[in-house]
Amino acid sequence: MNNVTQIVKKVRQAPWRVQHQWIGLFLLALVLMAMIAGIYLNITVGATLAGREIQRLRNEIITNQRVNADSETQLARLTSVEAMLQRADAMAFQPANPDEITYVAVAGYTAQSAVDLSTPGKTERVVPVILPEYSESWFDYFMNQQAASASAGGPP
Amino acid sequence: MKRNLHTWRYVSVALLLAGLGIAILVQIIRIQNSPEVAGVINQGDYIWKDFFPPRGEIYDRHGSLLAGNKTVYEIGLDLTINPDMPTVMLAIQMSGLDLNEVNYRISLATDNAQYIILDDFVSAEKAEQLMTLQKAANADPTGKNLDAIYFKAHYGRSYPETDLASNALGFVTEDNHGYLGIEEKYDNILAGIPVRILVPADPRRATEYPIIPPGQTIILTIDREIQAAIENILDQALVSTDASSGTIVVMDPRTGEILAMSSTPRLNLNDYQSITTVFPGETPFNRAISQAYEPGSVSKILTMAGALDSGAVKPDTVFFDEGSILVGGSRIVNWDGGAWGYQDMTGCLANSLNVCLAWVSSIKMDSDSFYSYMQRFGLGHATGIDLAQETSGRLKLPGDGDWRPVELGTNAFGQGVSVTPIQMVMAASALANDGKMVYPHVLYAQIQDGKQSNTRTQIVGTPISTKTADTISEMLANALETESSTALVPGYRIAGKTGTAQIPLSGGGYDENDVNASFIGWGPVDDPRFIVYVWLEKPQTNRAASVVAAPIFKQVVEKLVVLMDVPPDAVRLQMVGR
Repeated sequence: MNNVTQIVKKVRQAPWRVQHQWIGLFLLALVLMAMIAGIYLNITVGATLAGREIQRLRNEIITNQRVNADSETQLARLTSVEAMLQRADAMAFQPANPDEITYVAVAGYTAQSAVDLSTPGKTERVVPVILPEYSESWFDYFMNQQAASASAGGPP
Repeated sequence: MKRNLHTWRYVSVALLLAGLGIAILVQIIRIQNSPEVAGVINQGDYIWKDFFPPRGEIYDRHGSLLAGNKTVYEIGLDLTINPDMPTVMLAIQMSGLDLNEVNYRISLATDNAQYIILDDFVSAEKAEQLMTLQKAANADPTGKNLDAIYFKAHYGRSYPETDLASNALGFVTEDNHGYLGIEEKYDNILAGIPVRILVPADPRRATEYPIIPPGQTIILTIDREIQAAIENILDQALVSTDASSGTIVVMDPRTGEILAMSSTPRLNLNDYQSITTVFPGETPFNRAISQAYEPGSVSKILTMAGALDSGAVKPDTVFFDEGSILVGGSRIVNWDGGAWGYQDMTGCLANSLNVCLAWVSSIKMDSDSFYSYMQRFGLGHATGIDLAQETSGRLKLPGDGDWRPVELGTNAFGQGVSVTPIQMVMAASALANDGKMVYPHVLYAQIQDGKQSNTRTQIVGTPISTKTADTISEMLANALETESSTALVPGYRIAGKTGTAQIPLSGGGYDENDVNASFIGWGPVDDPRFIVYVWLEKPQTNRAASVVAAPIFKQVVEKLVVLMDVPPDAVRLQMVGR
């Protein structure tokens, strides 16, 4: 029994060493908390700034749309029938009469058709896509990775 | 001793850091729970926000803008920051705003009002003047600032062509509602839906803002150049004939597309508030669809078409005109009171003989057959054209309380029956389009999500056969050539018919002094590209449609063949033959 006690006493930590361990653990926890808080703060600030940027850009889009509408209307006013007739008149043009026109057959000519205002290349409305990395949990991530690797390396 | 010293140092550092951490936590908790922050979060969590989507634009068939949008401003006053009213009013006056309107709005404000709308739909020019004054006042530290004036930009309707096609377009009022014409008919798709909704104030939730779709853009069948040309011709015609009003409609008989539609008066759509002055009393906004009248002899083409189609007559059927005929116990005479002797059916049309047409409807046809054809031509029913405020006219039928037997005769030459110009155009499309009657429409296409959907041609009926349609067109073309009509256009074969109609009085009987003069025609006869309807109400220089309306038809066609690239018949047939 004495031998056992002597062995315990020999391997037991010194008190100052135990204190150091506790302090170290406390500091580690503190550093972890600070890191988490820092990361949280960083992400929150980033999200807030991005949100403000979205708001600013949205307002800018609205303003630009109004400016475009203004410009389009102004352009239409400048090229209105009345304005164009005045300009043509000032440039000594006059409306053609039927007997003043010579018709020439041009191969491949197609008469003027009505306008097509479709947006070129437009097929479907584009909606913003949020990548899964931004929304999935760790569990989802690992499950998806596993599913992806299984499907990639699985039996044909 | 040395170890104890180290322990003390470590404990001190740990306590310091712990204290710092606790202090930070306490501060965070304190800030989070402070009433100031709590107030900001609660107030700013959701905010009311107005979304004004732009109204859809309206283009003509070649992409010229007929109705667009422009920036206008709501100018308000924030009463929470104690504005200096004399300075504010002075600035408003200097900016050219309507001071009476502003004063009126201020007088409506309640005692506890925090914000007053001083004026709305203020032009950008005036608003910018006021903004300049505001900046100048704010830059002067000694002066009184104009911080309380608040500007909110939004859309207002703008019509760059002012009164062009105004009768077909209609207008939009300040409450973003369309009235009359296209603006009213398609208000539900043109108007985006302005919304006032709660949105999260938290910028991190900016993606939760709703996307408010704009109004749909539409393209009309109207051709701006043709529209301008016919309006110019109509304006000159009113002066030269001293008519009280006029209407011209141009339609493609193959598709029912309205290429131009004008009636008088017209309205500067940017100043729609003057509508009560421009259209006093019961004046129709668009006579082409909203004013039914007795068309007179132009409707003889429908009677003859029905008679030919039913086999009641043939083009060479001979009628001996004695100058009058009894129908339902009443005597019907010709427009000149004369007797025209032997006439074939083409002669009856060329000389516009009432007696002959009354004979056709009452003797060669019967009431069942005649009215059946009139109904198949759509008389008595609205065409359904996509313009607001269409009326249907009236076709009295046997069995109706106010129908009299003589009307079987008078209806044959367009008296006792009322139609709108668009009804006549639609009915005549059957004659010009191989018997197929087309639905008249003004909407060419609508744009949604960048994709254009075109309106399809609709055949609303086939009242007569192709053979009958070709025959009546030939007869009418021959009739014009026989009488050397003033409607003829050199180089182009045209089918058409004049109409000089008496005007019924509200108390019964007909006006002895005034008439309605009309002309309906289409061409080129072998491949019609246009139907033109001209109507002059109460022309004073001459009563005969062949004198006042036919030349206007000719002017319109002369413009149309140029603007629509329709070569003379000889050239066209030569090109087709190559």
